[in-house]
Amino acid sequence: MENRDRRKFLGVCLGGIASASIAAVAYPLFRYLSPIPEQENSGKVTFQESDIPEGEAKFFQYAGSAAVLIKNKEQGVIALSAVCTHLGCIVQWQKERGEFLCPCHAGRYTAQGLVISGPPPKPLQPLHVSIANGTITIG
Amino acid sequence: MSLYKNIDNWLDVRLGTHSLIEKELTGYLLPRNINAWYSLGSVLLFIFSLQIVTGILLLIYYVPDADKAFASVTMIMNRVPFGWLVRMCHVVGSNMMVLILLFHMLSVLFMGSYKSPRELNWLSGFILFNLVMAISLTGYLLPWSQLSYWATTVATNSVGAIPFIGSYLVEFLRGGKLVGPPTLGRFFALHVAVIPITIAAFVGIHLVLLQRIGVSTPPFGLKETKSNWRGDTFRYEEHPGGIPFFPNYLLQDMTSIMLYLALFFAVLFFDPYLFLPKDAFIPADPFLTPAHIKPEWYFLPNYQTLKLFPSEFLGLAVQGAAMTFLALLPFIDRGTEKHPLKRPLFMACSIGGILLWIGLAIWGHFS
Ligand code: FES
Repeated sequence: MENRDRRKFLGVCLGGIASASIAAVAYPLFRYLSPIPEQENSGKVTFQESDIPEGEAKFFQYAGSAAVLIKNKEQGVIALSAVCTHLGCIVQWQKERGEFLCPCHAGRYTAQGLVISGPPPKPLQPLHVSIANGTITIG
Repeated sequence: MSLYKNIDNWLDVRLGTHSLIEKELTGYLLPRNINAWYSLGSVLLFIFSLQIVTGILLLIYYVPDADKAFASVTMIMNRVPFGWLVRMCHVVGSNMMVLILLFHMLSVLFMGSYKSPRELNWLSGFILFNLVMAISLTGYLLPWSQLSYWATTVATNSVGAIPFIGSYLVEFLRGGKLVGPPTLGRFFALHVAVIPITIAAFVGIHLVLLQRIGVSTPPFGLKETKSNWRGDTFRYEEHPGGIPFFPNYLLQDMTSIMLYLALFFAVLFFDPYLFLPKDAFIPADPFLTPAHIKPEWYFLPNYQTLKLFPSEFLGLAVQGAAMTFLALLPFIDRGTEKHPLKRPLFMACSIGGILLWIGLAIWGHFS
């Protein structure tokens, strides 16, 4: 009887040590393989207002994903996420029609990001824009 | 029937696992007087697997480009979580692999296991030894530090001492007149693909040979230490009445691996930069040779030999002769006696050789 208790105790110890060692290997491994956070600079992106031509779109990286900035007469400056709300393709700017077209499944959006036609379920996500003496700041 | 029994039975019907386990594990008998030195092969296998795993992990962040290599290694050390751990495991592991390999060879020498009929085991092991040296040398360049750059310059330079083709050979190895980006490309390919595959293949050959001929009986604790192998027909060396590999000897293997890990972690956590002089932390600069550039400790005797002889060619030839002698040892030493104390000439030569090697290493280190 005593022998069996001893055996059980040693078994539990061994199990504990084994799981601790597995964890000691698995945790560093998991952290090593996890994506490294980008070194972010306050999360804001700035442009000179004069650098952006009328009616053109400017694509840029914002918070690790694609975004687009357009400037036109009627609405002024608009910044949107360029990620299509359907399955995540990047929309294209069609200057002649003043619309965004998603090349993947022909989703169409207005310059404000509202859905005109196609599969996208939601409008493009707008980003906060502020303009102060010739500098456009997004975020 | 329990689930475990079901699976066991299912596998046995299809693969004959029971007879396989019987043959290779529980029924595989080793000599009764087998000792801990015989487990160093398993330790080496374990180290090699660890090098492969850490090596693959390093490949995720390492960039084999002369402009980016150093920065990528710096990033692994400083920014990637636990990157320092993975890299230091690889660096320390490589040095430990050479160390344990030397011990493994010494045990084979002293217990006479290299003798007939195991010449092929010895030869395949000798090739493995050279491959390990080659993988260490090629890996040394990859971080593209001052140490890497100049140690490789010196190492590749010594090939130039070979008459006639020497200078062409150096250029061929380097992929250019000097060590540079083309050298990095070559060494990278050798280090991560060519040599590892070759090592794996030779480990396989080494083990198959061992399996075919059987484990040699250690000479210790026996009255009769002579090998009674006659050399007319193939004979598997059986060990009736011996101890089973599983669980008895596997436990010894595990014990040795644990002891090894204790040593490994002691270096890793208490003196991780033991094998990295400070030139290893400066990016390579082809226009500035650092003072006192030296190779890794296991190349120090070779390095010192090259310095001792008046002509590089002579130094190289002496080393070549020593290595050839070592490779052909089982063909030269034809005696059947295995006990080291009953082989005085062998003992004198080998201990002399080891002392010479250590002496040259120390001399090389301090000169
Ligand atoms: S992903 Fe844009 S329409 Fe389907």
